[in-house]
Amino acid sequence: MIKSIIFWLLAMLLAPFFSAVILKIKAFFGGKKGPPLLINYYTLIKLFKKGSVYSTSTTFIFKMGPMVSLCSAVTVLLFLPIAGHAPVVSFDGDVIFILYLMGLGRFFTIAAAMDTASPFEGMGAAREAYFPIICEATMFMILVLFYKLTGELSLATYFSGSQPAGLWHVAGAPLLFVSMAFFIILLTENSRVPVDDPATHLELTMIHEVMVLDHSGPDLALIELGSFIKLFFFSTFVARLICPFDMGNSVFNTAMFGAALLLVYVAAGITESVMARYRMDRVPRFVLTSFALAFFATVITLEFVK
Amino acid sequence: MIHPVDILLTLVLLSVLFAFASSRLPVLIRILAFQGVVVSIVPFFLGHDMATGSIVFTLATLTIRGIIIPWSIYSMIKKMGIKREMETVVGYNVSVFVSLLLIVAAPMLSHKFNLTFFSGSTLITPTAITLVVAGMFLLMARRNAIAMVLGYIMMENGIYLVGTSFSARTQHIVEFGILLDVLAGVMIMAIMLQSMSHKYDNLDTALLRELKE
Amino acid sequence: MVEVIFLVPFITGLAAFFLPGIAGRVVLGLTGAVHLLMSILLWVNRPDAFFPEFFAVTPEGLLSLIVISLLFFLISIYVTEYLREADIRSENIFIGSILLFLSTMTMVTLSDHIMVMWIAIEATTLASAPLIYTHRTAKALEATWKYVLICSVGIAMALLGSILLTLAMDAGNVNVPVSFSALTGVAKQLDPTWLKAGFVFILVGYGTKMGLAPMHTWLPDAHSEAPSPASALLSGVLLNCAYLGIFKTNKIMFAAGLGDFSGMILMVFGLMSIIAAATFILKQTEYKRMLAYSSIENMGIIAFGTGIGGIGAYGAILCLLHHSLIKSSLFLTSGNILFGFKSRFIGQTGNLVKLMPKTFVAFFAGFAGISGFPPFGIFIGELLIIVGAFRSGHYTMAAIFILSLCFIFAGFANHVMKISFGKAPSDTRIAITEKPCLVWPQYALLLTSLVLCFWMPDTLYQTIIDAVAAIGGGF
Repeated sequence: MIKSIIFWLLAMLLAPFFSAVILKIKAFFGGKKGPPLLINYYTLIKLFKKGSVYSTSTTFIFKMGPMVSLCSAVTVLLFLPIAGHAPVVSFDGDVIFILYLMGLGRFFTIAAAMDTASPFEGMGAAREAYFPIICEATMFMILVLFYKLTGELSLATYFSGSQPAGLWHVAGAPLLFVSMAFFIILLTENSRVPVDDPATHLELTMIHEVMVLDHSGPDLALIELGSFIKLFFFSTFVARLICPFDMGNSVFNTAMFGAALLLVYVAAGITESVMARYRMDRVPRFVLTSFALAFFATVITLEFVK
Repeated sequence: MIHPVDILLTLVLLSVLFAFASSRLPVLIRILAFQGVVVSIVPFFLGHDMATGSIVFTLATLTIRGIIIPWSIYSMIKKMGIKREMETVVGYNVSVFVSLLLIVAAPMLSHKFNLTFFSGSTLITPTAITLVVAGMFLLMARRNAIAMVLGYIMMENGIYLVGTSFSARTQHIVEFGILLDVLAGVMIMAIMLQSMSHKYDNLDTALLRELKE
Repeated sequence: MVEVIFLVPFITGLAAFFLPGIAGRVVLGLTGAVHLLMSILLWVNRPDAFFPEFFAVTPEGLLSLIVISLLFFLISIYVTEYLREADIRSENIFIGSILLFLSTMTMVTLSDHIMVMWIAIEATTLASAPLIYTHRTAKALEATWKYVLICSVGIAMALLGSILLTLAMDAGNVNVPVSFSALTGVAKQLDPTWLKAGFVFILVGYGTKMGLAPMHTWLPDAHSEAPSPASALLSGVLLNCAYLGIFKTNKIMFAAGLGDFSGMILMVFGLMSIIAAATFILKQTEYKRMLAYSSIENMGIIAFGTGIGGIGAYGAILCLLHHSLIKSSLFLTSGNILFGFKSRFIGQTGNLVKLMPKTFVAFFAGFAGISGFPPFGIFIGELLIIVGAFRSGHYTMAAIFILSLCFIFAGFANHVMKISFGKAPSDTRIAITEKPCLVWPQYALLLTSLVLCFWMPDTLYQTIIDAVAAIGGGF
């Protein structure tokens, strides 16, 4: 239990560090030196030191938004089995709870964006509402698959201990597709290239970033931290899926998990470096690909595992 | 225990998905080359006792389906500088949903038939059905003439997959004849495509509307 | 012996690709003559094949073969004159392809192995594609593209059907060669479900090639865009070849006791084709397309008759023979009309009786024959089919059948009268003289049809009876 809590705290602490890896990779591909690996901590500290500016047209929703989205991210992290260890909290059906908790976070981000009454933010909010719908469909499809394989509905049974190595053994090919689908979800949910460009400066082309334009100071810091944690959350899935081995040694397992996690972040960084952002009308097709993959994996599994 | 063929066939099914989502001809051609390779090496895994004749025939299939046909179409595109994006009748997102439905429907259909001839592999029949129907769909849903030819090839691949059970019982000379016919057919289509691109400088089949009734 | 008959045109066809114009025409005529001679020898001797597992001489094959041979010989005479008049850029390709086409069609009539049959029928598509594209126009290109694509897809269905037949063998634990004759022998042991599925796919596949509605869409285009001798071959014998595939499969079905199932499907497809032809023939503006729709109609009649069985099946075979003879003569005649008026449109022709009297005789006699006037064989065939339909109790279908025939006759007659007696455009100048080679082949074809009505040789009668007996036909 103590161990789980330590991992939970560690995850929150390290999430900004891992996000900086992506920046570093992008800088490397651009032939630049890039910011230091601790840049995100500096940014967060800087932001927390500042004061907030609120538009007179906003209400309490606007102030609540960042807080709720961070809280939902942190709570979701409680259920996450990190490096194969049991999560802090777990119950049967927690997967669905997690999905809706993330939905809650998103809802408040959107609500806060709408609250500013800025047309750009409304546009971003519409996109933010649209693309994750497909992602959710994908995740439910993956859920069906995992339920079919394990017969349970909790993250702990999917990703801790000897899982998902066991699952790979039963249904290797489908899990490969699931990994790919998850990576696409990771890119979509966390507003990465090719769905969204976190570094863009043009409101018209933004999705996620446009919604946080009006937040400042500590509020912005909370949002940033929330997004770091969210990215960490999804990366853990993919890392665990591509590196499911259980060596029996806790330290060794953790080290290996860390390496896998780093690999996922590097992969995300490389994707961002080599790909261009899709035109807005091409994005749904990209996200649909993840759904198609998950759906396909599920059908195949139903075929194999009678 | 998953039959080794099934792993390959899973990838073939996936490639159908990508073929439906792809709007670019070279991607489609690569997918077909892959399907051609997989489909022709399936007999190796099915445990028919392979005589020399069978091996030679399988290799010939591999060369023709996997290399010669896709390569010739690809080089034709390159030579003629054809636009690589395809015109569609049915859009890509809808196509993807159709392919998903297809992949669900095909196993259900093959359960009905209850085929037991294929030693061990559960996916051969569903894949064959999927390929045949998917080929038909491409023929109807894409207006680009090359895409139609590719749809035809996909259909042929599916039929060949059904035929693998049958390869045990006929002489290879017959199968070879079939293979040559398909090859010649594709070549003639390729020649037609070339003259078409000379005449219309576009392969949109909407241009072929002069003859009616 | 048997295999030589399609190897000869194959070799001469390959050679003709490299021969200059005049030599090619000589080769064409010689091959036609040799082929006819060999076919007659085959008819008389009925020898065994070198490769009995692939090829066999069957009554229905012989019937088709003799028709092909006769037609090809007469058409080759016509072609020698036609090529002089027509502006065909690459004559060697035309002659080479037409010879290869002959070779592949001959192979269809002789093949017994299910897959060899498929190979041969697909090969006919490939060999005839260059023929349709002879004129190198945009329209010809479109017609060829449709022809190759639709027929290839259709024939792919037939391949699937053929493979399903072999699955029927697997499911029934039968181990015989995959040939029509062997399968007909053990038909009772085959798995009926797979057999039915196989038949449906084969019918759709070869039906596409045969021009059954609704898979007929390529046929009017291809037949109207091809040069007239090629159209005559396409319509006169290629359709028969595809029908042969269906007929032989139907034999297996009948032997397996599934004759009712296959007969019903054949009747439905046949009727659909007749109705489709009746709908479209009324408003045709081009005479070659009109003839093409008439081919669809006749194929429908033949499928319908085959489906009825009994006396109807006999009638169907009669229709098959006479349709080949008359329709190919009509297509050759349409070539003359095209030479004369330089237009495919009915509206730009007229007064054929005065302007081209010899062609008129062939054209009008052909019209009378194809639309079922009494002295010609199609009349007898259709009559037998109608009698058969009534005998077997398909009253509604027979009524639709007769009604459609009336429609087709009305539409056909309307167009033919316009061409024959209507007013020609004032600036019409007939560009050719009616040389003997351009009309006598048609006369010969029509005469053959006429003679066969009044005097049918015993050997021919016996062969037809042998053929239809296998699908429950006969009196």
